Amino acid sequence: MGVYTVSSVENLRICVVMVGLPARGKSFISQKIVRYLSWLSIKAKCFNVGSYRRQIGAAHPSADFFDFKNEEAFRIRENAVTQAVEDMMKWYEDDNGVVGILDATNTTRSRRDWILKLCRENAIEPMFLESWCDDQEMILRNISDVKTCSPDYEGVDPEKATSDFLQRIGKYEKVYQPLDLDHDKNLTFVKLVNVAQEVIVNQIQTYLESRIVFYVMNLHIRPRFIWLSRHGESIYNVEKKIGGDSSLSPRGMQYAAKLPELVRESAGDADLTVWTSTLCRTQQSAQYLPYKQLQWKALDELDAGVCDGMTYEEIEEKYPEDFKARDEDKYEYRYPGGESYRDVVIRLEPIIMELERQENILIVTHQAVLRCIYAYFMNVPQEESPWMSIPLHTLIRLEPRAYGTEVKRIKANIPAVSTYKEKGTSQLGESVNDATKYRNLLTGEGGN
Amino acid sequence: MSVVLSDGEDANHKSNEDDADSTVTGNNTGNHMARTGKRWSGSSSRRPQLKGLGSDNVHENVATGDHIFPGQLYSTESGRLFHAGKIIIVLVGLPATSKTLLSVAITRYTKWLGVKTKSFHVSEYRRRQGTEVPDDYFSALPTTKEGLEVRGKIFGLVFDDMVNFFQETKGQLAIYDALNIRRSERKELETKFSAFNIKVLFIESVLTDAELVNRNIKMAAQSFDYQGVPKHQARNSFMQRLLVNKPLYEEIIPEENLSYVKYINSGQRLIVNNNRYGYLINKIVFFLMNVRDKRGCVYFARCGTSDNDRYIDDEVLNKEGRRYSKILTEAVLDRINSKRLSRNGTPTFASKASTPTPEGLVMNESSGLIPTVTTLQRTLSRGNHKVRQIQSWDGADDDSFVVWTAPRKRTYDTAKYFLEKGIAVRQRFQLQQLHPGVVADLTEEEIKAQYPKEYSEYIKDKYHYRFPRAESYHDLAVRMEPLLLEIERMCGDVLIIGHESTLKVLYGYLMACTCEELPSLEFPRDEIVEISFSPFQNKAERLPLTTA
Repeated sequence: MGVYTVSSVENLRICVVMVGLPARGKSFISQKIVRYLSWLSIKAKCFNVGSYRRQIGAAHPSADFFDFKNEEAFRIRENAVTQAVEDMMKWYEDDNGVVGILDATNTTRSRRDWILKLCRENAIEPMFLESWCDDQEMILRNISDVKTCSPDYEGVDPEKATSDFLQRIGKYEKVYQPLDLDHDKNLTFVKLVNVAQEVIVNQIQTYLESRIVFYVMNLHIRPRFIWLSRHGESIYNVEKKIGGDSSLSPRGMQYAAKLPELVRESAGDADLTVWTSTLCRTQQSAQYLPYKQLQWKALDELDAGVCDGMTYEEIEEKYPEDFKARDEDKYEYRYPGGESYRDVVIRLEPIIMELERQENILIVTHQAVLRCIYAYFMNVPQEESPWMSIPLHTLIRLEPRAYGTEVKRIKANIPAVSTYKEKGTSQLGESVNDATKYRNLLTGEGGN
Repeated sequence: MSVVLSDGEDANHKSNEDDADSTVTGNNTGNHMARTGKRWSGSSSRRPQLKGLGSDNVHENVATGDHIFPGQLYSTESGRLFHAGKIIIVLVGLPATSKTLLSVAITRYTKWLGVKTKSFHVSEYRRRQGTEVPDDYFSALPTTKEGLEVRGKIFGLVFDDMVNFFQETKGQLAIYDALNIRRSERKELETKFSAFNIKVLFIESVLTDAELVNRNIKMAAQSFDYQGVPKHQARNSFMQRLLVNKPLYEEIIPEENLSYVKYINSGQRLIVNNNRYGYLINKIVFFLMNVRDKRGCVYFARCGTSDNDRYIDDEVLNKEGRRYSKILTEAVLDRINSKRLSRNGTPTFASKASTPTPEGLVMNESSGLIPTVTTLQRTLSRGNHKVRQIQSWDGADDDSFVVWTAPRKRTYDTAKYFLEKGIAVRQRFQLQQLHPGVVADLTEEEIKAQYPKEYSEYIKDKYHYRFPRAESYHDLAVRMEPLLLEIERMCGDVLIIGHESTLKVLYGYLMACTCEELPSLEFPRDEIVEISFSPFQNKAERLPLTTA
């Protein structure tokens, strides 16, 4: 049973109602919340009204469509919201949903009141989350992101898309009623002013709401990259042993020597900060990187307890039951005296929060830890994440975007052993068939 | 050249302890490449100095010792966590705005997380002086020479202690509890601490709700300063302190260019401005969203007995167990009602004669609980969708009473008589007892005999050690975090019926126990433990349960 799972006994359901003009990062924030909560095993889902609207016949609307005086269009838009909300209510009931996110502009008070009433009638706690922004630079950046990513502007000339989108925003501005400290003082709401420069938190009523706000406070929507790498091949890797605190092998040292070049090719002159674990193989791997470095205890490899320093064959022989139990539920399995993947996810909380707050971080860490971090950014389901293949001597670049995270893999072309262990064997290495599914996750195709 | 910082240190202060620790190499097994850095370094082999049940350790100084705290995810050599550096939280606000409550509550929480925290209360320093202070000492701007002098002396002492806490010990977070209502004072603090490379965060407590203001004044007039002073006189004297400072108060404004949090009306609203400090501060803001001025108490009780009382069986209560349930129900309700009566004098809604009494608002016959003003307000707003409704969550109101039980039959059944009275009873899976693994249902002697190696490890670190297939207390503490914060947010009373292991963790949090103390706590069946809350400390009281 999950640590943060909210069981049905507690009977708590929350609806996060997004509020704000177009291009304020609402979809980005919604997606992030879903990913974060899913990572913590809390059932969350986003209902994007725009995609409902596209489904019911307004796939590529022009700005006029969003004129609040356009009655025909207004009817279609009402329809879209209604359908989204109906689906959300159904999801709470049928799938025991816990946190639903209504991703729409919800700019008028009457619309918000309508949602409020529906929530209260269905014993769902409404929490309004407004992204309010007057930082022009940020808005323009968002617009350029939307016009290249949004399905509304597929195949449209970028110039034209931008001007149409600005017009669309203008239509919303005419009717926009921001959340008001006086008028809305009884509502549970969060108002983000220029992302997180100022955050107003009003009438938070439950633990889970506070947890969502805590997470959102760490987010920023400036463009950024995250680089991830495992340490170079270690002596233990070569000896097929797990855990330990061994040094790098000669090939691992080659990777360490090549890493600065790989990073520079990918990051250019950007000033990065390097995070390593406190184990020496990550520090050796990062030793030639010309950036500020921080060591985090929280990035240390999953602790294999009594099995630390053994090969999988030895584990299978000495602890056959453990070996089997781990293959059956690798996420929950905890080595005697050691940790499970779930334990690692919990101790990574400070890492994830700091990572969200920062720009341009390079993390050099270990296989299991990297799987957890990767799963968070790529929304990899819990049962799959411990089985992902993340090869040695490969630099991974993540780029979080509004509609998902983009991945790029940069190979160092320095040979290394495979430390990948398939289910049901104590032998290392990947057979093509079984690993294909997880490999796709790494190329980005399986991502969002 | 690159700078390497290990978890918790900062560039300017690489302390000697770090160097000493990091030279440790190798271990006993002869494996030169084994992990030497354990997740837990430090103290568990030391004999704990038990301070006994009942004392709240939130004010114990931790910066010098190697204590590990129950909710800590890992420990570092420098003793600091999260690369958060050193932080001082400066409280801001008029007298009677819950500043002490906030500073103590934050201390309790961050200590639990393993952050070496200490709160510095100027009022404590003044009282320790022993002598009378001039009247105008209590003004943010004293007008007499004596007033200025005494104020300067006392504030100087606090400042030196705070700096010492950071520089000489392993302190990471200091909380400064004083008025700090003048812009100039804040600027000075910001400048002084920044010079020491200590980050400064201001938390301003603002009260605009008249009812809350009145309540807080009433509370303040009962504080240490007025022990033995007649009520009326105490109130007057305190009002004087408030009135002299009111015109001097300058609220924090964005133009001061500080990092600050405004904590408005006991947390109904929070405004976070210019927060540059990262994880730890955000975690504290997260906590502030949950902390409440609690009026009720937390009660701990064990479940009734079943025939075999074994871990593996999910048994129902036996006859004795059912009898216990009945006695427990009556004892807890009696206690809650007598506390409510002493708090309110008479049932409060009787004094609101001008408000029309809605139908059905009589003392809730079936539950036997005394209603309060909140009960009345809620009844009036029933069905109004703009106002939250009662069923939505537990413990939000000061008249609430909820019973939490573990998911096992015998604990849930122990709450049966509460359920019959219409009181909310919730099974919380986080209260699932510590999983004992292979040592389930074995006595300590049997464990010693059957698992000698494991047992000797367990004795070394009872808090973190896990028997094969078992959970440690630490696992339990981490998985119970949501409950801790939910308890913080509950304004009313809550009774928790659980296994001894889970009660230890909850008690450990509320009374600020260390990992060494927590496993040795005891909760026998013939007692209820009552934790009551006051701004400066929590109190634990054992109430005998007469089962005869």
